[in-house]
Amino acid sequence: MSAPASYSVKAAQEGRRSFLDPRTKLALVLTLALFVLGGLGGERMEPLKTVLSALPFLLLLIEREWKRFLRGCLMLGIGYGLLYAMPYLPRAAGFFALMCGGILTRFVVTVVMGEYLVASTSVSEFISGMERLRMPAAVTIPMSVMFRLFPTIGAEWKSIRRAMGMRGISLGGNRAGEVLEYRMVPMITSSVRIGEELSASALTRGLGAPVKRTNICRIGFRAQDWILLLLCLAAFVFWILGLLGVGI
Amino acid sequence: MIEFKSVSFRYGAGGEDGRTRNEASLTDVSLTVRDGEFVLLTGPSGCGKTTVLRLINGLIPQFYPGEVTGEVLIDGESNAGRELYDLAPKVGTVFQNPRTQFYNVDTTGELAFGCENRGMPEEEICSRIDETVSRFRIEGLMDRSIFRLSDGEKQKIACASADVSGPGIILLDEPSANLDYGATLALREMILRWRSEGKTIVAAEHRIAYLWDLTDRAVLMKDGRILRELTGAEKDGISEEELTSLGLRSRTTEDPAAIPLPAFSEGDEPILLRDFRFAYPGTKKAVVDLPEMKLAAGEITAVVGCNGAGKTSLLNCLCGLEGRCSGTLEYRGKRYGRRERRRLCFMVMQDTGNQLFTESALDEVLISLPKDEPEPEKRAGELLALLDLEDFAGRHPQSLSGGQKQRLAIACALASGREILLLDEPTSGLDHRHMKETAALFERLRAMGTTLLVVTHDSELIRACCTRRIGIG
Repeated sequence: MSAPASYSVKAAQEGRRSFLDPRTKLALVLTLALFVLGGLGGERMEPLKTVLSALPFLLLLIEREWKRFLRGCLMLGIGYGLLYAMPYLPRAAGFFALMCGGILTRFVVTVVMGEYLVASTSVSEFISGMERLRMPAAVTIPMSVMFRLFPTIGAEWKSIRRAMGMRGISLGGNRAGEVLEYRMVPMITSSVRIGEELSASALTRGLGAPVKRTNICRIGFRAQDWILLLLCLAAFVFWILGLLGVGI
Repeated sequence: MIEFKSVSFRYGAGGEDGRTRNEASLTDVSLTVRDGEFVLLTGPSGCGKTTVLRLINGLIPQFYPGEVTGEVLIDGESNAGRELYDLAPKVGTVFQNPRTQFYNVDTTGELAFGCENRGMPEEEICSRIDETVSRFRIEGLMDRSIFRLSDGEKQKIACASADVSGPGIILLDEPSANLDYGATLALREMILRWRSEGKTIVAAEHRIAYLWDLTDRAVLMKDGRILRELTGAEKDGISEEELTSLGLRSRTTEDPAAIPLPAFSEGDEPILLRDFRFAYPGTKKAVVDLPEMKLAAGEITAVVGCNGAGKTSLLNCLCGLEGRCSGTLEYRGKRYGRRERRRLCFMVMQDTGNQLFTESALDEVLISLPKDEPEPEKRAGELLALLDLEDFAGRHPQSLSGGQKQRLAIACALASGREILLLDEPTSGLDHRHMKETAALFERLRAMGTTLLVVTHDSELIRACCTRRIGIG
């Protein structure tokens, strides 16, 4: 056997295994998007929605993502604060508070769930999960590229913003209307370049070969996955029963 | 074995969509690389060395379409009509840009990627990764986010990732372009290991010094043709003058930190930096920490240090782009805070394309001129002429070459009246002639009274034009 100091990728993968299976995370994002963000099922779903809304925050705590957790709580707090303050405000401000509060309370939970998905899932885990769902490569590959591309494009965006600041072009300047257009020019050029270089590299490493891909990451359903999947299923069943007019 | 049998190539869709036909990128190239041989392809920019690599790994014509004539054979089998995934197990490529060659966001996933695509059993992938990790001694880089690695570390992962796939042929496309002296030597160690294991290696490089003595043969190219092939005594005995006359970089490595230049000498007009400190959000360790530093005004100062030592962060701080950075700059009896420095300093970034925003080179200079400029068009024309860009006034900035973009950014800096010019790795990936041109331009700017601060690991550039040197980290 190898010396104790040597690296073992198998042990490392086991140690890094995510709390949830990527498929469970996807199911949660979908469920939250439909019921919390989309408001499917109306008043009747309220108690279930409250339970669902707490989940992403709980998951962030389990993964020790303190910063994301606090940011999410803060945004949600602001949202409810606005809704609470709304009746005491003058008309225009009250309307504004209602709008912002409504958007925040609806969106934040689902966005936090999406953040959790991206932060806690590696590209390999995601591809593996999608393959087990029998998703075609035409869906899986572009979606997996997102994991890589978003942070990269975010970094480019930041660098362009800085460059504009240095050039002395800002919203307060004499060409305010053109600022957005200015920013898009290098953004598009560099995104195209990055996309091209990423694709060339991935293709020379055999991406898209007509064989069944393997994955070294460890995924699979465990007790926590089954519990959360049942919860999602319950939401759907409860909603369908409501549609059929069956009261519980 | 790799064989090129009188191969010619031109990029483009061959006129099908009515696009203009491009110039030939390769003309009648015949070349044989034996198993276990290490061949260096070198020559001025645009000589076709990258095109040769793309023909070997199949990116041409599968990814970059064009017209190929002649034949490229790998182990006796023609590349024509072969899919990229058929070639992937045989040929591994390390690309130039460390930031755009990873598909995964974690290092371990990246190492497994090539084998996973081939559908290799998990057990075998794991044992291959373990083996590569121990051979290259990169235990410390495993299970990390690729967004947290320095460029040197990324290039190590790129090499390791090619290695895990176990190809017989390794292609290196200017892998050192973004690396500092230390990281380049680490890259050399990895290549040395492949060399001792009998891999066939083909490298395209401008910076030939770090691998010159490892190669069996140097192939000199120009305008898409093979000019000369150097082997044995001829390769070992070639003089620096001869290399220069062929448009090549030096073949001897030199540590930029060892070049004897003063940081500041008696009689220099000082630019005083005080209390510059910067740490990334959420980290305690400061990447920039300068209680006090004196820079020489009106000189060309080289800023050297290893990858990740905070050189680029220092430039950002100096330009006032880093909101979290404290510190003041004193120059000619005036103190400049963060916001004032934005009017004093200008940085030419590594990705120069990200700082050009308009639709023509002329517009780019016009928006930089002060509002009270009496004759803006005339002044802009003068500045473009000063930087040899008068013929490109109407061109879209994004369509210019790397060097032209750099000069356009400098024209904008001059237009806005900045006195201190900061440059981030201005010669990465430049051949000898372009490096010399850049050096000459810096001399001209200095003669006009501009202060230049150049972050670089290019010893030849430092030798060619820098008059002061400071070390960071």
